[in-house]
Amino acid sequence: MTVDKSRREAAGPQPLSGIVVLDLSGALGNYCGKLFADLGADVILVEPLDGTPARRMEPRVEGRSDAEASLQFQYNNTNKRSIAVDLDRPEGQEVLRSLAVGADLLIETERPGVMEARGLGYKALKELAPQLVMTSITPFGQTGPYAQWQAEDIIGLALGGMLYLGGYTDSPPMAAYGYQAYAAGNLFGAVASMAAVYDAEVSGAGQHVDVSMQESVVMGMETAIQFCDLEGTVRKRTAGQQRMAGAGVFECKDGYIFLLAGGSGANRFWTPTVQWLVDEGVEGVEALQERKWSDQDYLATAEAKAIFKGVFSPFAKSHNKLELYTKGQQRRIPIAPVSSTADIVQSKQLQERGFFVTTQAAGDESGARPLVMPGAPYKLSATPWSLRRPAPRLGEHTSEILSALGINEERQVKLREQGVVR
Amino acid sequence: MKRLLEGIKIVDFTWIGAGSYTTKLLADLGADVIKIETATRLDSLRITRPFKDGIAGIDRSGYFADRNTSKRSITVNVKHAEGLKLVKQLIAHCDLVTNNFTPDVMGKLGLGYEVVKGIKSDIVFVSMSMQGATGPDRDYLGYGLTIGSITGFQHLTGLPDREPAGTGTNYPDHIPNPTHAAFAILAALRHKRRTGEGQYIDIAQTEPTIALLGPWIMNYTVNGRVDNRRGNAHPQMAPHGVYPCLGEDRWIAIAAASDEQWNTLRGMLGLADEPRWATMEGRLADREGLDRAIAEWSRHKEPRALMEELQAAGVPAGAVQDARDVLRYDPQLAWRQHWVEFDHPEMGMSTYNAAPFRFSDAESTPSSPAPLLGQHTREICSGILKLSESEIERLMECGALK
Repeated sequence: MTVDKSRREAAGPQPLSGIVVLDLSGALGNYCGKLFADLGADVILVEPLDGTPARRMEPRVEGRSDAEASLQFQYNNTNKRSIAVDLDRPEGQEVLRSLAVGADLLIETERPGVMEARGLGYKALKELAPQLVMTSITPFGQTGPYAQWQAEDIIGLALGGMLYLGGYTDSPPMAAYGYQAYAAGNLFGAVASMAAVYDAEVSGAGQHVDVSMQESVVMGMETAIQFCDLEGTVRKRTAGQQRMAGAGVFECKDGYIFLLAGGSGANRFWTPTVQWLVDEGVEGVEALQERKWSDQDYLATAEAKAIFKGVFSPFAKSHNKLELYTKGQQRRIPIAPVSSTADIVQSKQLQERGFFVTTQAAGDESGARPLVMPGAPYKLSATPWSLRRPAPRLGEHTSEILSALGINEERQVKLREQGVVR
Repeated sequence: MKRLLEGIKIVDFTWIGAGSYTTKLLADLGADVIKIETATRLDSLRITRPFKDGIAGIDRSGYFADRNTSKRSITVNVKHAEGLKLVKQLIAHCDLVTNNFTPDVMGKLGLGYEVVKGIKSDIVFVSMSMQGATGPDRDYLGYGLTIGSITGFQHLTGLPDREPAGTGTNYPDHIPNPTHAAFAILAALRHKRRTGEGQYIDIAQTEPTIALLGPWIMNYTVNGRVDNRRGNAHPQMAPHGVYPCLGEDRWIAIAAASDEQWNTLRGMLGLADEPRWATMEGRLADREGLDRAIAEWSRHKEPRALMEELQAAGVPAGAVQDARDVLRYDPQLAWRQHWVEFDHPEMGMSTYNAAPFRFSDAESTPSSPAPLLGQHTREICSGILKLSESEIERLMECGALK
C-alpha cells in the first residue's frame, strides 16, 4: 500500500495537489517543504522521536517551552502532517521505504553519507521508487573537500561571500538577519525540487538533487563577482555611509528612511529629488543643482556625499518616515521607510492585500494565543495559496499514516512499544 | 543530458534585478526565454557598472550579463503598432509571459492579462511589481535596496546602537524574489499541464521577502516583541560571531552549537574548564567575555588555516570570504564547478554563476552567455514567426524591430 493520493487530490483547486512530499529536514529544508505544502502538496514531516530540531528554535510563544511553542517551527511547518519515527532503527527505515514508494519528493538535510548508512540513500530508494526525487540540502553539497564540514547559518554566509558585504565600514562584517543562508538553501532547493518533480511526473524518472547552502549564498553577492572579474576590484561593505550621494539611510523624526536618489536607474531620479527639495524650500538646495551631479563618478566621492547629507538631513529629521515615503513616492522617487516588524504588521498596503493569516497552534485549543503570520508570497488567481491547517503536533498523524501504509493496529502498537514510532 | 524545462517558451518583459534573475533560473533549466528589449528604452542594467575593463557599453555590463544567461534577445518596439502585433504573435507560441513593471504598464502597452489571455487562453501571466497589483501603494516604485528597507531587513541587520546596516546589497532581487517567483511559476505550469488552465500570478516583491522573516513577524503579533538589530549574536548559541584574523580586513566566523564543540574550541583557545562555561546558558551569559578571548587568539592566525584547523576538530568555522576568495580560491565551489566561463561576443571570456544545485540526471549549467542587444531578432522572426528576409528588413527599417 502507498499513500492514498486520490483522496487528497479531491481537496480543491491547488496547483500541487496530488504531490506527496516526505520532509525529513531540519532548518535547511523545512521552508522548502512549506512552499510545497502551502500550494497543496501532501507534505509529511518525518520527525525523530524527540521532534525536528526547529521545535527548539527561538523565538517562542512567551512563557512556553513545549514542543509546539517555537514560532520558527510553527511558521515553517504549516499545512504539514507529522509522523515521528526513528530512522536509525531497521523497523523505522522500513517505514520510510514504504512511504518513499508512494512519494514524489523526499527532502533531507543530513550530513552526506548518513542516509546511505541507514540504507536510505538515493540509489537504494531509486530501486524501490524510480519516480522519486530526492533533494539533499547540505552546507556544502554531497561531495568535495568541504562536504563533511559543519556549518551553522553564519558559516554559510561567511564562505558564501554575503557576510563580507554587510556591515559598517569600521566594524566587523555583519550577518543578514533571520538565517538567510538557511533560507537560500531552502529556496534554491525548492526551485530545483519543483523542476525535477515537474519532469518526473511525465518522464517517470526521478533525480537526486544536490543543493549547497554555501553556493546558494553566493547567488546573493549581487555585482561583487562581476566587479572582481571585469574591473579587478573587490567590493567592500558600506553601511554607515551613503553608497552614492543621495543613496542610503537617513535619520528622520521617528526612525530612518532609505533614499535611492543617486545612481539608480541611470541616475534618472536625481532631478525629481532635487525638485522636491526645491519645492519644499530646503535650505542650500542650490548646491545640488550644478551640472556635475549628473556625473556618477562625482556622486561616488566623499565630497558629494557630504554635500548631499548636509542639505537633506535637516529636512529628513523634521519629517516622519511615512510622510517622506508618501511625498517622495508621489514624485516617483524610490524612497522607503526602514520598517520594523511592527511597522510591517501595521502596513495598510499589506493589510489591504490580506497578506497576514491567522491560525492556532496545536496545544492552544482555547485560542488564547492566535498565530498571525505572513501568508501568500504569491497570488495565483486560479489556484490560490491557502492555509489549511497549523503545524502538526509531534507524531500527530503517525497512526493515520501507518494505517494508510497497511500497517495494522497490532503492529502499530508493537512499533510504539519498541520505540520505533511515536 | 536533458534539461528539465525543455519545451517551455517564455515571452519575457522582465528587466533589471528580480525579474531577470527569475527568468535566468528558468532559462538555465532549459526554458526558451525570449527577452523582449528595445533600443528605445534599455534595460538599465545594460548601462550599469561593472563593465568589461571598465569601459561602458550596452553589451559590456557584468550586472546585466550574469542575470541573462541562456536567454535570447529580440529588439521590438511595442509602442510601434507593427511591433505590438509581432509580440502578440510571439505570445501565441508561448506558455508564459513575465514582467516586473509597476502594475499598469502592461495594460498601457496593450498587453494586459485579459488581452494576452485572449491571444493564448492557457497562458500563465506573471507580474512582479514592488507592491503588487492591488492596495494603496500599488503604484510605488523601488529597487532591491528599498524593498529590503520596507520588509525589515534594513532595520534588523547591523548593530543595535548604530544606524541600520542592511545586507549591503539588493538582497531581495537575488534570493527571496526570484526563487519564490520561479517556484510559483513552475507550480502554475504543472497545473496548466494537468488541467489546461492558465492563470495570472501577482507577486509583490515585498511579500516573498517578508515571508523570510515570518518567525520575527510572529514574535510581534504573538508576543508583542519588536525585534532589533543584534550584530552577529545568536539567541541560543555562544560563542557565535565574526572574529578578526591576521591581515587587512580578514575575519573568521565561528559558532559553537554544542557542549562538545565548545569544549574542543576551549581546548584550542587554551582556556580552563570553568564551571560557568559548562552549559550553553552559562556561555550565553558570558558572551562578550568569550568573544574577547576568541578575538585575542584569532587575530594572530591566518583565516583559512584557522578554519581548516577548527573544522578538522569538528568546530563550525568559515573564513569570511570576499569576492576574490569566492571566485578564485574556494576549493569547494571549484569542485562543484560553480563558475562558468563563456566567450561573450563583446566581453570575451567572462565568468557567470551556475545555479547552486546539481541533478543526478539533468543539466543545470547555463547554456550560453548573455545575449547582445537584439542578437536573436532575425533568428526569432524567421524561426518562430516564419517571416521572410524581406519582411524582416522592412520591419527593421520602419522601427518595429528596434
